Amino acid sequence: MSTPPPGNAPLPIAAPERTRKLVWALLRPHRTQAVLAAVALLGAAGLSLLTAPLLGGVVDLAASRNTGAITGRVVLLALAALGQGGLAFGGLVLASRLGERVLAELREGFVDSVLALPLERIEEGGSGDLTSRVTEDVAAVSEAVRQAFPTFVQSALVIGLTLFGLLALDWRFAAAALVAVPIQVATARWYLRRSGPLYAAQRVAAAGEQQQLLDSFGGAATVRAFRLAEDHVAAVGRRVDTTNGLVVEVTRTQTRFFGRLNSAELLGLAAVLGMGFVLVDARLVTIGAASAAALYFANLFGPVNSVLFLLDTLQSATAGLARLVGVIDERPRAGAGTGAVPADGSVKAVGLRHAYVAGHEVLRGVDLDIPAGSTVALVGASGGGKSTLAKLIAGIHRPTAGSVHLGGVALADLDPVALREAVVLVTQEVHTFAGTLAEDLALAAPGADADAVRGALATVGALDWALALPDGLDTRVGAGGHELTVVQAQQVALARLVLADPALAILDEATAEAGSSGARVLETAAAEALRGRTGIVVAHRLSQAAAADLVLVLDRGQVVEQGHHDTLVAAGGRYARLWAAWSTDRA
Amino acid sequence: MLTGRAVLRRSMRAQRGRILAAAALFTGYQAGEAAVPILIGVVIDRAVATGDAGALPVWLGLLAAAFAGLSLCWRFGMRVGTLAGVRADRELRLAVAARALDARGGGALLPGEAVSVATADARRTATVNFLVPHGIAAAVGITVAGAALLAFSVPLGLLILLGTPPLLLVVRLLSAPLERRGAAQQERAAQAAGVAADLVRGVRVVKGIGAEAAAMARYRRTSRESLDATLHTTRAEAGYSGAVIVVNGLFLALVALVGGRLAASGEITVGQLVSAVGLAQFLLAPLGTFGEITAALAAGRASAARIAGVLAAPAAVTGGDDEVTGPVSGELVLTGVRGPGLSGVDIRVAAGESVGVVVTDPAAATALLRYLNREADPESGHIGLDGVGFGSLDPAALRAAVLVSPHDADLFEGSVEENLSVRASPTADLARVAPATRVDQVAEALPAGLASAVTERGRSLSGGQRQRVALARALLADPPVLVLHDPTTAVDAVTEAGIAAGLRELRAGRTTVLLTSSPALLAEVDRVVFVDRGSVVATGTHARLMAQNPGYREAVLT
Repeated sequence: MSTPPPGNAPLPIAAPERTRKLVWALLRPHRTQAVLAAVALLGAAGLSLLTAPLLGGVVDLAASRNTGAITGRVVLLALAALGQGGLAFGGLVLASRLGERVLAELREGFVDSVLALPLERIEEGGSGDLTSRVTEDVAAVSEAVRQAFPTFVQSALVIGLTLFGLLALDWRFAAAALVAVPIQVATARWYLRRSGPLYAAQRVAAAGEQQQLLDSFGGAATVRAFRLAEDHVAAVGRRVDTTNGLVVEVTRTQTRFFGRLNSAELLGLAAVLGMGFVLVDARLVTIGAASAAALYFANLFGPVNSVLFLLDTLQSATAGLARLVGVIDERPRAGAGTGAVPADGSVKAVGLRHAYVAGHEVLRGVDLDIPAGSTVALVGASGGGKSTLAKLIAGIHRPTAGSVHLGGVALADLDPVALREAVVLVTQEVHTFAGTLAEDLALAAPGADADAVRGALATVGALDWALALPDGLDTRVGAGGHELTVVQAQQVALARLVLADPALAILDEATAEAGSSGARVLETAAAEALRGRTGIVVAHRLSQAAAADLVLVLDRGQVVEQGHHDTLVAAGGRYARLWAAWSTDRA
Repeated sequence: MLTGRAVLRRSMRAQRGRILAAAALFTGYQAGEAAVPILIGVVIDRAVATGDAGALPVWLGLLAAAFAGLSLCWRFGMRVGTLAGVRADRELRLAVAARALDARGGGALLPGEAVSVATADARRTATVNFLVPHGIAAAVGITVAGAALLAFSVPLGLLILLGTPPLLLVVRLLSAPLERRGAAQQERAAQAAGVAADLVRGVRVVKGIGAEAAAMARYRRTSRESLDATLHTTRAEAGYSGAVIVVNGLFLALVALVGGRLAASGEITVGQLVSAVGLAQFLLAPLGTFGEITAALAAGRASAARIAGVLAAPAAVTGGDDEVTGPVSGELVLTGVRGPGLSGVDIRVAAGESVGVVVTDPAAATALLRYLNREADPESGHIGLDGVGFGSLDPAALRAAVLVSPHDADLFEGSVEENLSVRASPTADLARVAPATRVDQVAEALPAGLASAVTERGRSLSGGQRQRVALARALLADPPVLVLHDPTTAVDAVTEAGIAAGLRELRAGRTTVLLTSSPALLAEVDRVVFVDRGSVVATGTHARLMAQNPGYREAVLT
């Protein structure tokens, strides 16, 4: 149809090397902080290891009935706890601040890049992909930075240092403990192979269930009218079964994962205890040392489990990061324009051709010459190429052949900022931005004062209802706020156009969704918004064409008729037939 | 009146077997966890300290048994507990879905809110089934560990058993302000994420008006606000982690001091000292579980109350269980119907007649449609089908006889063909309906024709395509009475004229009501009723009203 099939040129995913480079670049300005954090956390982990030998010392002293010396060890235990708490506090503060700053820069870089991408690129990549990157991937990276990473680092440090502690007691204890490692490695690999796809399936299933519920609840009136409630409840049931089946599957996988780790724990613990028996028997170590080794190892259960369990969170965060960096790297270099500024709002197009899919031409050679300040209506059946022509003139798609000149400057020579200052496109896509109505409008003209905003709303006939909103222009609208009707949302879009005040405005709005009385309101609003500028209107209602300076009739990608409404009606061609159909029952 | 408590009780009772089994298994797991440190102490006492080579394999074997026991109990406890949760979850979700789609309507939640009740609230309620076994097991674990400690030494046992709860209380007190601040921070973070997602969703509009820089400035502001809020909480969070380490460490030192002295004086063995230290650490987990469960239970109760609120919401239309008997001839009579914008409307549509209704006030048109579809009943007045009042008929049975299709009718996920055939009557023929509604042109324009997928409630189609599919769906249902609201607002004039003629032909001899102000459609009906300022002001053919009624002319002309 009139839009390109999405996803035919997916947005890129960065290579691991490129991701590392970008993260490093983000970290570099904060490297002192990073080093301090690492030192503090290492110190905390080191102190935590003192607990077991100190307890072992208490055991030894108790065995030798040396009551007096016990107090000294206990004081050391208490001091170690205080030191460990203090260092952990400092290290965590530094590490999480660093993480949050990097995270903020990353997400801002991503949004900045998305906003800078050419629309054509976004449509090729599919906007659903972008939405999922900005929600799911940002969330995955944030979760890893906030929750998984600190625990992971602390646990890894404890594990590393415990091995040193075992070595310090006697190298044979460390050797005995390593018996558990092959099982743990094999288990982690086994788990990572399964968990990734399983979690991905779980996300897909949850989204599917959500969509089904929104479909059914949102369309409840239609469901009732066609007596489809049973079918829809059954469809919800199938979705729930899928999500719940995956919950059970995830539980099974996780329990098997931890079950395997239990056997590694047992094997390692038995080995350490057995080694203790042999070494005490041979009088190489004390009972206290053997107890300390056993306690060391038992204390590793928690950290080892967390490190292995968090591997998949980190894995999905890494994948998410690569998808974010991929888009950040896609950011186009700043404007390639020549600095030329269009003289006025006139439009001249020569030999425009366009195909979204090679070999399937939507426009087949269109010529246009529109003087500045006039209004042109594009008319014709759907699929005729009206919307595509609008997008080519707006510079959103590049024509496969031919050229467009705006105020005497070729579109290709305009940099993106100059282009958008000269041309504004209002499409059928109605999006009200979350926030107050005033903020929404301010997007089009950040410097506009309250009077200008009210003036724009008045121009499109929206001031009355806007002031009647619960908090007037400060009412929160968009997602999660006051819901505007389709007509109101479209009026807001036209008010943005008035505020942006371009020389050329292209309207391809949705009067369709508005019902017949709404369409009339929008028609008046559009006419007012176009006053004083060149306007190209995709006309859904022929009254718009009748009021235009020039009417272009498109059919199968070509202009088949053009001229003023009266001329075309008198000529008795295709437009005259359209007009007859439109006006017969209106006479 | 259904209460949250009743919802929760019903959901638990249905799964009581699984809940008890999971509780037993988790108890086994706790016992195993408690046995491990005890057995480490015993191995040191009986084998390492004595050098008894025969005792070592025996006690290591017991250690292995404890591990096997705890591992298997946990594995199967988790599985059974998860099932107890998801089964309850399923029932709750389906109950909410069935209520939201009930033929009698009511429970006016926004779709988003209803989805959140059917997912998040159902999950929180069902999670109670998973948590209760954990709570039971934690209680058993505490009892077992406490008994062992008291058997070693009464003073040491009392120190640990009486010392741990205040310890946890301190930790909870430390974390309470953190939870509050955490919630505020999450809200900020969610806001930043929300603004980002919103800008990305609206990126075409942003680029259409050249607002990239303004949009970026706005996002950066939100993102920095969120960062500031987060940086404030990192200090509190890190402080909490540090404090927990310190409090636990000091308590451990106290246990070591008392236990060490007892062991040195020979009141307990060295192995018992090691076990006691281990058990002091072990007890933190089950006691901590209680804190978590209390919070989750409160959340579960609140969610159950919201579910109860949805399930118990009063119906929008009450009364009426009668089936529609015999063949419907299709006479529709409205007498003195009042409601928003309607101050006593009388319309009589004879069986087989096609009538256009022009209503100047959109709110009045919406109200009229809702009454005809029995989404609501009029404030006063009467609507009857073949002489039987709507109020005495079962709503679903009524809709089989009177089908109302609004101009923004929703399509559902599936192919175009599946959407068309959803209620297709055997008497209807796609080969006739498709050209008459111009759905054949829709199929031609779509990549896979009638097999093309429809997603997002039909938003994957253009407005005009969606409207034609919805119209064809209604015609294929071939109901005795068909009510259409503005069925052609999104199609061009030529197509509209064609559809108007097609409609007349397809519905010949069947009662049809067209609520519209489109002249093309009104020209093709037998008779037009003009409703202005709440009541019928004129009746006649389109041509006659056009000629004689200036108000009508104004209402239907641009």
